[in-house]
Amino acid sequence: MSTILGADDASVVTSAQITAIAQEVWESFLGRSLLPHPMGPHAPALEGQTVTGCVHVSGEWNGSVFLSCDSETAAAAAEAMFAADPGSLSSDEVSDALGELTNMVGGNIKSLLPAPSRLSVPTIAVGASGAVRIPGAVLLDRVVLLSDPGPLHISIWKV
Amino acid sequence: MKILIVDDSKAMRMIVTRTLRQAGYGDHVFVEAVDGADGLAKVAGEAPDLVLSDWNMPEVTGIEFLRALRASGNDVRFGFVTSESTDAMRATAEQAGALFLIGKPFTAETFAEQLGAVLV
Repeated sequence: MSTILGADDASVVTSAQITAIAQEVWESFLGRSLLPHPMGPHAPALEGQTVTGCVHVSGEWNGSVFLSCDSETAAAAAEAMFAADPGSLSSDEVSDALGELTNMVGGNIKSLLPAPSRLSVPTIAVGASGAVRIPGAVLLDRVVLLSDPGPLHISIWKV
Repeated sequence: MKILIVDDSKAMRMIVTRTLRQAGYGDHVFVEAVDGADGLAKVAGEAPDLVLSDWNMPEVTGIEFLRALRASGNDVRFGFVTSESTDAMRATAEQAGALFLIGKPFTAETFAEQLGAVLV
């Protein structure tokens, strides 16, 4: 089980904790389950157009939490949050929903990280898989979860 | 009773409203604000009985919003609904004058418990 190294090299957040946080958010607000991808962090990268939500943590611990999925999965998640009909939401509403999901997952992860620190408001980027980069950041952990219709990638980056 | 819901996410404002109804507060009036600055204006204009505010927002954060209210002498009942629910955050919220802090994700039962204690 992969772990995150904190400022003092002590493991502070585990993949299991990240998974549990995401599962609780999805079940509470979307009414949907998330299951670990059988290939774990070695699951294939997302293909085609992806939607990535990002929050930054700054202070005693500095880094970012990314939440990525394909456009269809982002739309499905937003429709569940808004209780909206399929295909009825605007791109702004989909971005808003994914931003809030990123905020909740990132905020709960931040609560497990060394304190004190601040959480940024979420940023949403739409583009090819892997298009969002933080120069100099090191990937600490990636959790891939089976969502509906596509997978959800959660990654933790340390700067 | 009038409840002001403050969150920069439209989706979250909708979820909070839905959860308030599920918790038994569906017969109250709901007003929305998109951040702390809008919240200050809505408190002045709408005179809500309770404010439910996110913490992490652009322009004016939730804690800045609460501190501005108290500094102006406004003692409206105030609670946070936020993704960060550490002991330090709760202490900061309480010191600033918040009555409670509900962590996201939340349930209707949590809302009923927390609001039931302050809306008597």
